[in-house]
Amino acid sequence: MSAFYDHFSRHAHGEGIKARSTHYCPGCGHGVAHRDLAAAIDELGIQDRTVLISPVGCSVFAYYYFDVGNSQAAHGRAPAVALGHKLAHPEAVVISYQGDGDLASIGLAETISIAQMGLPITVIFINNAIYGMTGGQLAPTSLMGQKTSTSPDGRVAAMGQPLKMAELIASLDGPVYVERVALFSARERVKARKAIKKAITNQVEGRGYSFIEIISECPTHLKMSPQEAEEWVKTKMEPVFPLGVKKDLTVEPWFKRGAPSFEPEAVLGLSGAERLDEDKPRTIANWPDHLPVRDIAIKLAGSGGDGAQTAALLLTRTAISVGFDATAIPSYGPESRGGTSYADVHIAEQEVLNPAASEPQVLVAFNAPSLAKFAPTVPAGGLILYDSTVVTDPGRLPAGRRILPIPLTRIAADLGRPMVKNVVALGALQSALNLLPEDSLVATLRHVLHDKPALLPLNESAYAAGRAAVESALAPA
Amino acid sequence: MSVAPRPKPFLEPQYCKGCLRCIEACPRECITPGSEINPATGLVPVELHLENCNGCTLCLQACPEPYGLRLETDPPAPAFAPNGDFELEDPAKLFGERCVANYSEGDQPDDQIALPACEPLVLKGTYASAIGALLAGCRHVFGYPITPSTEGAELMAKILPKLDGAFVQAVSEVAAVNMMYGAGGAGLPCMTFTSSPGFSLMLEGISYMIGAEVPGVFVNIMRAGPGLGNIAPEQADIKLACRGLGHGNTRALVLAPSTPQEMLDLTREAFALSFRYRNPVIILGDGYLGQMTGMVKLPPTMTRPGLPAWAVWGDRAHRHNLISSIALAEADLETHNQHLNRKYAAISACEQRVECHRCSDAEVLVVACNTPARMAKGAVEAARAQGVKAGLFRPITIWPFPIDTLAEILPGVERIVVVEAGPGQLEDELRLALSHAGIAPPPIDHVRRCGGILPAQSAILEGILQGEEVLS
Ligand code: SF4
Ligand code: SF4
Ligand code: SF4
Repeated sequence: MSAFYDHFSRHAHGEGIKARSTHYCPGCGHGVAHRDLAAAIDELGIQDRTVLISPVGCSVFAYYYFDVGNSQAAHGRAPAVALGHKLAHPEAVVISYQGDGDLASIGLAETISIAQMGLPITVIFINNAIYGMTGGQLAPTSLMGQKTSTSPDGRVAAMGQPLKMAELIASLDGPVYVERVALFSARERVKARKAIKKAITNQVEGRGYSFIEIISECPTHLKMSPQEAEEWVKTKMEPVFPLGVKKDLTVEPWFKRGAPSFEPEAVLGLSGAERLDEDKPRTIANWPDHLPVRDIAIKLAGSGGDGAQTAALLLTRTAISVGFDATAIPSYGPESRGGTSYADVHIAEQEVLNPAASEPQVLVAFNAPSLAKFAPTVPAGGLILYDSTVVTDPGRLPAGRRILPIPLTRIAADLGRPMVKNVVALGALQSALNLLPEDSLVATLRHVLHDKPALLPLNESAYAAGRAAVESALAPA
Repeated sequence: MSVAPRPKPFLEPQYCKGCLRCIEACPRECITPGSEINPATGLVPVELHLENCNGCTLCLQACPEPYGLRLETDPPAPAFAPNGDFELEDPAKLFGERCVANYSEGDQPDDQIALPACEPLVLKGTYASAIGALLAGCRHVFGYPITPSTEGAELMAKILPKLDGAFVQAVSEVAAVNMMYGAGGAGLPCMTFTSSPGFSLMLEGISYMIGAEVPGVFVNIMRAGPGLGNIAPEQADIKLACRGLGHGNTRALVLAPSTPQEMLDLTREAFALSFRYRNPVIILGDGYLGQMTGMVKLPPTMTRPGLPAWAVWGDRAHRHNLISSIALAEADLETHNQHLNRKYAAISACEQRVECHRCSDAEVLVVACNTPARMAKGAVEAARAQGVKAGLFRPITIWPFPIDTLAEILPGVERIVVVEAGPGQLEDELRLALSHAGIAPPPIDHVRRCGGILPAQSAILEGILQGEEVLS
């Protein structure tokens, strides 16, 4: 049997008899299932490709014995580990070998969710109705009335009734093949072998996920001889866990995955990167001398639909495109659902140090609550620009700040789309501040709308109208 | 027509556990319970009487021992001396080529693929991190949605299928980290995006990854706790990342970016570090940084990952490999821990990273990382404008803490001000690092906010100027 190591060098360092014998108790069903699994691997000629996931439980050391790629998983997580292996290397034949505590208790979420994904892996489930490794405690598959060290008076319904995993898995849409088999007689062992082979074949051929439940003997914790344990599985377990095929779909091979791409063009394109175009005319701006600071904080605030976030990003993008540093931080989460939505923008000649705008030199307020909330944070000498269509009564605004009431909504509405009031605001801001080079924002608009050219004229008009509104407001009477 | 007789079973008594399962399996009653105790095992092996045997192999199928009942055509087992040493009759045959250590062909190295020069991108931090991962060669991302980290995962979900990679939304963070254990164990770069409560759930898996030496990158966009807390930024997982990576002797490099550019650069670097040390790497961002949009320049190359020799890949060259965190014998586990300790020591010695801003003549040294370090930088500049010699010491690795550089700066420093959007976990790391290094520090003050509030530049400035606890 070549799927077993010649020499179990991982078992007690392969010394003495352990080099060729298992750690399992005499008569343990795990050993029988191991031989079935090894036979299937041999017959299918997939030893090199096989990756076996050992669980936590008595079969934690399955990797001592199988001469295949081995990975030992945390308790209950073997199917997740198996999925990781399968997606990393789809040609690998990945087998998750698990006991009842592992698969049907602590790992239930992984078991079900990964079965439902239906990717071609093979799960071998050893159900012996008891916890072996930890010493005979109640398992999710223990029988009603079964006495275990944690159900000393026998299992009652309030401890949960035996989970019928094969039926549960078969009820999912993901798996293609589910069968429950047993080891208690020569006849059943022949069927078990066939089932395991078929479950692996389904994977090798890319047909889908298969699940084999093997009802099995734990003579030690049943406190029986192996023969009595076989009899117990046959007469007591089998009626609760009926044997047979629970699901067997005819599915054509479908699982085929290409090797991941490392094409620079593809990766850059999907990342939104654009080739540097040396010939592209570009404006490199000098920091405007009329501004007293080299790092200006701008807060744009409104309600959810006002477009403050978009305006912030347009501003940031434009500033970066002309060689400044810039950042934008949105308010996010529940705050941004419905209520106020604000964004902090910084534009700096060199490096934005502090990206927060807790004391913004410029406030653009799209509604009254935003104006009321943030106007007091604007330091002396700052600029407060607000939508005078919406805010008809600005209340008392702090003295010593430039106040610019601009009817953003009305201007946008006159253009036919109230939504573009944020772009109107950007035009207004540009005329009020003269921070960015002439028309650099229009260049950004062109850039971001290159695949929606129909929207460009409207946005350009909005921007121009915003500029005009401020210029006429500032014009000497 | 005569058919060659089928091979019959044979038994090497020392590998029989006397379970008797084979007896009932034999339709011809060839097997009987034994009567003698085997001196090597103390068990009673069965006895075979093969006169009537037809070689049906049903007894073999019943035997739980791989080397219990076998066919006479199978090679015999090597003999073992009672002291446990083998008698090496023919070593080549004994081990077979399958069992030779280092059977693998060695590491297949990474390729660096040149990228054309690109315009700077304008990206939010989580996206920058995702693109950093793509450029590091990561094509496998496993995650569970959690604010404020989800956008990184969403971008991966959009991009990876187009690159024949895989994004899997797992049933939980617990499942996600174990998918990483699988893909990382297969030798490929993989990652997750998560946030504090999700990171807590991943800690068990991280301990297993560290124990089994599986690489993987965790981007934790920290939010405020404890419990469900809220989704605003807080630096409250420094303790978990530096001191609490699940059970056992666990350590991982902890990187703390403070700009979208660093989100890209450090994510990219995290993969290289993760494979260099065969260990997970944690990136701690904060909710602000995850959401912050800024300028991001792309590197000149993209990595196409090779395959390390240790990978459990599922081919002949890697068949001997095992990914496991078990060492059953105490001495083995101690040896493994000593190996891990040497690795941690190497990381501590070689991977300390820090940005020092105006530190050379600083009298007041501000220590801060992530977004609060940017507020702190603003405050340092403001203090300098007032003639106060302030400097910013910004750890980029929190573990290992950049204590070597700090030790060089400290002699001129009169006061340290630790600035945190959190309950003081960075200060704990600072104090521990000082203590381990045997350095008596100058007085340490702090400016702290938590619950999702960042220390304001003005409060930090006050902390620098006054040397009082501004808020705790
Ligand atoms: S405790 Fe039970 S399941 Fe575990 S090895 Fe022994 S017999 Fe097998
Ligand atoms: S090969 Fe068949 S006939 Fe021979 S001992 Fe085994 S079970 Fe009996
Ligand atoms: S089944 Fe195997 S281990 Fe059990 S008695 Fe028979 S030969 Fe021995």
